[in-house]
Amino acid sequence: MEMLQYALRKFITGIPLIIGVTLISFLLMVYFGPDKTYELVGKNATEEQIQEIRHQLGYDKPFVARYLEYLKELATFDFGYSDSTGERVNSILKRTVPISLALITPGFVLGNLLGIALALVAAYYRGHWLDKLIMGGSVVGMSVSFLIVIIAFQILLSSNDGLGWFPVRGWNVYSFWDYLRYITVPTLATVFVALGYNTRFYRAVIVEEMGRDHVRTAKAFGTPPGELLFKHILKNAMIPIITRIMFSIPLVVISGSLLVESYFGIPGVGKVTFDAITTGDQPILKAVVGITAVLFVIVLILNDIFYKLVDPRVSLK
Amino acid sequence: MNTLAEETSLPKESESLWGKAWYKFRRDRTGMIALGVVIFFMFIALGVWAGLWGSGWSNVGGDMWAGPSPEHWLGTNIIGQDIYSRAIYSTKTAFEVGMVVAILSTILGGILGALSGYFTNSWVDELILWLMGVLDSIPFYLFVAAIAYALQGYPYSMHIAMIATFWTTTARLVRGEVIKLKNFEFVEAARAIGLPQGKIIFRHIMPNTFHILLVQATIVFVGAIKSEVILSFLGLGVVDGVSWGLMIAESTQEVQAGHYSNFLTASTFLFVLVMAFNMFSDSLQDALDPKKVSA
Amino acid sequence: MIIRACALLFLSSLLLAGGCSDGPKTTGMKVYRHSLNGSPTSLDPAQSATIYANHVVVNIYDTLYSYKYLARPYQIKPNLAAAMPDVSEDGLTYTIRIKKGVEFTDDPAFPDGKGRELTAADFVYSLKRHFDPKTRSQGSWFWSGRIKGMADWKQAGSDYDKEVEGLKALDRYTIRIILNKPFPQLVHTLAQGYSAIVPHEAVNYYGREFSVRPVGSGPFRLQTFDSVRAVLVRNPKYRKEPIDLAYEGYDEAIHGKFGIEKIEGRAPPLVDRLEIHFIQESLSRWNSFTKGDEIQYAGIPKELLDDVLARKQPNVLLKPEYAQRFFMTSGIETGFVHTDFNMADPEIGYNKDKRREEMNHALRCAIRYAFNWHERNKRFYNDMGVIFPGIIPPVVPEYDPDGPKDSLEYSPEKGKKLLEEAGWTADKLPTLTYGGVAQVDTRQIFEQYRGWLTKIGYPKEKIVFDSYASFGDFNKAVKQAKIKIVGMGWGLDYPDAENTLQLFYGPNGSPGSNNANFNDPEYNRLYEQSAVMQPSPERTKLYRRMNQIVLDSCVTISGLSRQEILLWHKNVVSYPDRSIVGGFHLKYVDIEEAGK
Repeated sequence: MEMLQYALRKFITGIPLIIGVTLISFLLMVYFGPDKTYELVGKNATEEQIQEIRHQLGYDKPFVARYLEYLKELATFDFGYSDSTGERVNSILKRTVPISLALITPGFVLGNLLGIALALVAAYYRGHWLDKLIMGGSVVGMSVSFLIVIIAFQILLSSNDGLGWFPVRGWNVYSFWDYLRYITVPTLATVFVALGYNTRFYRAVIVEEMGRDHVRTAKAFGTPPGELLFKHILKNAMIPIITRIMFSIPLVVISGSLLVESYFGIPGVGKVTFDAITTGDQPILKAVVGITAVLFVIVLILNDIFYKLVDPRVSLK
Repeated sequence: MNTLAEETSLPKESESLWGKAWYKFRRDRTGMIALGVVIFFMFIALGVWAGLWGSGWSNVGGDMWAGPSPEHWLGTNIIGQDIYSRAIYSTKTAFEVGMVVAILSTILGGILGALSGYFTNSWVDELILWLMGVLDSIPFYLFVAAIAYALQGYPYSMHIAMIATFWTTTARLVRGEVIKLKNFEFVEAARAIGLPQGKIIFRHIMPNTFHILLVQATIVFVGAIKSEVILSFLGLGVVDGVSWGLMIAESTQEVQAGHYSNFLTASTFLFVLVMAFNMFSDSLQDALDPKKVSA
Repeated sequence: MIIRACALLFLSSLLLAGGCSDGPKTTGMKVYRHSLNGSPTSLDPAQSATIYANHVVVNIYDTLYSYKYLARPYQIKPNLAAAMPDVSEDGLTYTIRIKKGVEFTDDPAFPDGKGRELTAADFVYSLKRHFDPKTRSQGSWFWSGRIKGMADWKQAGSDYDKEVEGLKALDRYTIRIILNKPFPQLVHTLAQGYSAIVPHEAVNYYGREFSVRPVGSGPFRLQTFDSVRAVLVRNPKYRKEPIDLAYEGYDEAIHGKFGIEKIEGRAPPLVDRLEIHFIQESLSRWNSFTKGDEIQYAGIPKELLDDVLARKQPNVLLKPEYAQRFFMTSGIETGFVHTDFNMADPEIGYNKDKRREEMNHALRCAIRYAFNWHERNKRFYNDMGVIFPGIIPPVVPEYDPDGPKDSLEYSPEKGKKLLEEAGWTADKLPTLTYGGVAQVDTRQIFEQYRGWLTKIGYPKEKIVFDSYASFGDFNKAVKQAKIKIVGMGWGLDYPDAENTLQLFYGPNGSPGSNNANFNDPEYNRLYEQSAVMQPSPERTKLYRRMNQIVLDSCVTISGLSRQEILLWHKNVVSYPDRSIVGGFHLKYVDIEEAGK
């Protein structure tokens, strides 16, 4: 009960954030955003037709009215129809979000798990050549552009010039086997890029935990390394780790795979969003930005609750 | 470094921080090499800026996808432009983007972070925190794309977009540091003798966050260069001129057909600079981190 | 540990939810996998502005007329219409009878879910839709101002219950169209996706989503559609009309090697499942094509041309290793690319100051001299495009192969001289904005163009790329006449030069299709005169005179028709075509063996 109240109160304090995000993105993406009218007019349009379309798209309504309409859409979770295809935005999301999740989750999970594992090794052998090797490797990983990684991996693993083991692009997934074939290259690329950042971050967290008095004491008393690791170090390091992971989730869900999807031609929400940007399909943009904002607030709340659970000293006020 | 410390009237303990840092940094071999590489790139960029080299980047004289030759060291692209000149010229673009974004976003982050930290729990702090929260919750590429659209035709839309998103991390760090600093004796003392708040914040507290700002600036610099590549690939980046991002975008189709020069050249330049900058940034961090003195 | 377990659980639930479900059960089915280099957004016939949309639309819906499968130049033939139209003496009244017993596919949109018979009233409805603002028609310009009473109908609020005098169903199977003035190209417009016949039940039932839930009477039904592919399946109710190859224009010498004689006497559609994959990246498309078990039709990416072709001239020939595996046709597109000057801009086009206007004329002609068609062709069109003077492309019958070629000449010296003579100096020259979408090839085309202009002494910094992140915004700038120089391509809707000549007709100025905002009294007069004429030598003479006017005014740098090379797998019986309309050949495509 206390928890629920707390969550509700938190959500209310999250409302200014949602308003802020929606207002700024509405202003930029919708009000000053690309003009869809000229995509919808025929090859030989008349001024009259242009006005008709502008009217149907609602471009001629005042800013406030359009923004309030957007808030209403967000509240009722009904974003209307895409301006390009005419399909319901909700059914587009229903179709594309699972694909994006299926695409990005393995890389996300692997990237974090491997990052933690490497960080543990590096932290354990701090100052040793192994640590230097891992940290050097992560600087290299951080220095390669994601785009370059994607291009290089595609050449090496998918193209006929390279190994040609995986599909070059597309998403014809009908079985688990297909699924593995299609996600391998994007997953490898994502892991490669994320690993450098993750390892560094997690190493810093773990090194800090290892330096704490209780860990030193435990070590001095001859606690076995396994117990030391899981009971004393990881347990406390969990807070920053989970925070980091949780805050990546909204971006991963909605737009994290924009580059991967547009490069590999995968019909996920990232590609849909990207196409919506370049064609000015505002209903989709509104939905994507709005949902991301709401997810962010939810993550904030969950994070606070989580803190509370892990560390009872944090009060629920 | 010591002169800087005197000019800005840093408290005693910081003076030794900078001195120590410089001493430490000089002994860090990796850091010095990295710095050398960065300076070398900067030298290239300055040369382009002064018109010493790279000016032929837009000439279309050469053959189509020609291989390396004495005339075109790294071959040519589809319309016969010299890839070497383009990569060289792009160094200037990269520095331009990196510098502009790093400097402005650091200034913005520093000021807002300091204000927010000094006035904790006041409406100023609330407002700035809210703004940071908002900017952090909008997906980066969507946000940049949106700004690129809103400022269409304006050559600095990409820079503005990056500044608008990159300042928040700096601001958070500075805010944390300022909260810590404002309870220090020298601040209390300044307050006690009735110095105006602006003076306290900007003359007495801010200089003590310089080490954060410096490190953040280098991180943002790298972030800006890397983002430029992706934005240019998405068609939202550099409007006029050429950049490594544009070269890579050009190459995405070519590489599959076996023309690798554009791709390899641009990505090597990019990689070397970013790598050097990352290592430089690391060493700088190590040198400036007082806790790490004994590590 | 907990995270790991959760992640696995999460993953597996995702897999169950997101995919795997509609796996193709293609055992014993004939599946043909076509591919296109772009994707349609809307499948509503009224919005089928691209060849991509037409590829799907003309295979799901019926049109009154169509083009013969094999005959080139294109010949029109009745499709849903029972015969060619009866046209009155004055060319104003068209009477068209349609086939009986044609039914729409079954769909929940109909009462009881059973598709009803298609009647003349459906055609009337489908055409009226274009003049209902709610439809957001992109094709209404074909008929606007031409059908008697249509403008008034729209003015009065587009009420479908009200009749339009010039568009009536005389009875269940007879359509009568009355025109304001003769429009000899009318029959061609009735073969376009725009004129496809839709049932009002589906339009009302699906509302805005009608654009992704097409219901027609064509050879196929839509199964799934998204931005990467459309899957169509055979419409079992499609009328049985045996193929008569001789009628379709079969020529042993041209078509014999493709095994097309095998389809003689069979009734389309010949495959059970038609997949159209939309793959923008030409190399990805090629990789998928050459893999063998993926798409069965593609073009050759320009980057690979030299690896795949044994020779380009005089006729295209594949290297043996490819010729062994694939069939190929090649031909020039029914369209062309050109670069227009915006005449509405006083710095480069018309100007109140007559002296300046003359200077501008010289400037435009000088820029045309700087334009190196050979290089453009070599770098961007595989050195295979056909360069021709003016706006009548080689693919139409009115093309003049012996026309004067001086407008295509590349001569920086002449350009330079022209500028000097007209009194232009580097500091007087206006800043040129070259508009385009921020894409790699557009930018490269611009950079090449800028490179040439510097050779006639144009200062580099005065040639600016005006980049737009979306086509819509670029189009907006064009339609508002904000850009000085516009590079554009035009695909012909029907094989008649009228379709390209209207591009320079004054009243079609921005936001119409006349992006150059060219407005020449003589040209306009000739256009109006020729627009109502049937094809004839006199009309051709007028067409060519108009072409000359455009050339003399240096209003456009034009043009080049691209060469298209189409390849398909050897187990596919097909004669592909992507030029006119788009996709009308797909119902004749057959596959040698059914899928396992």
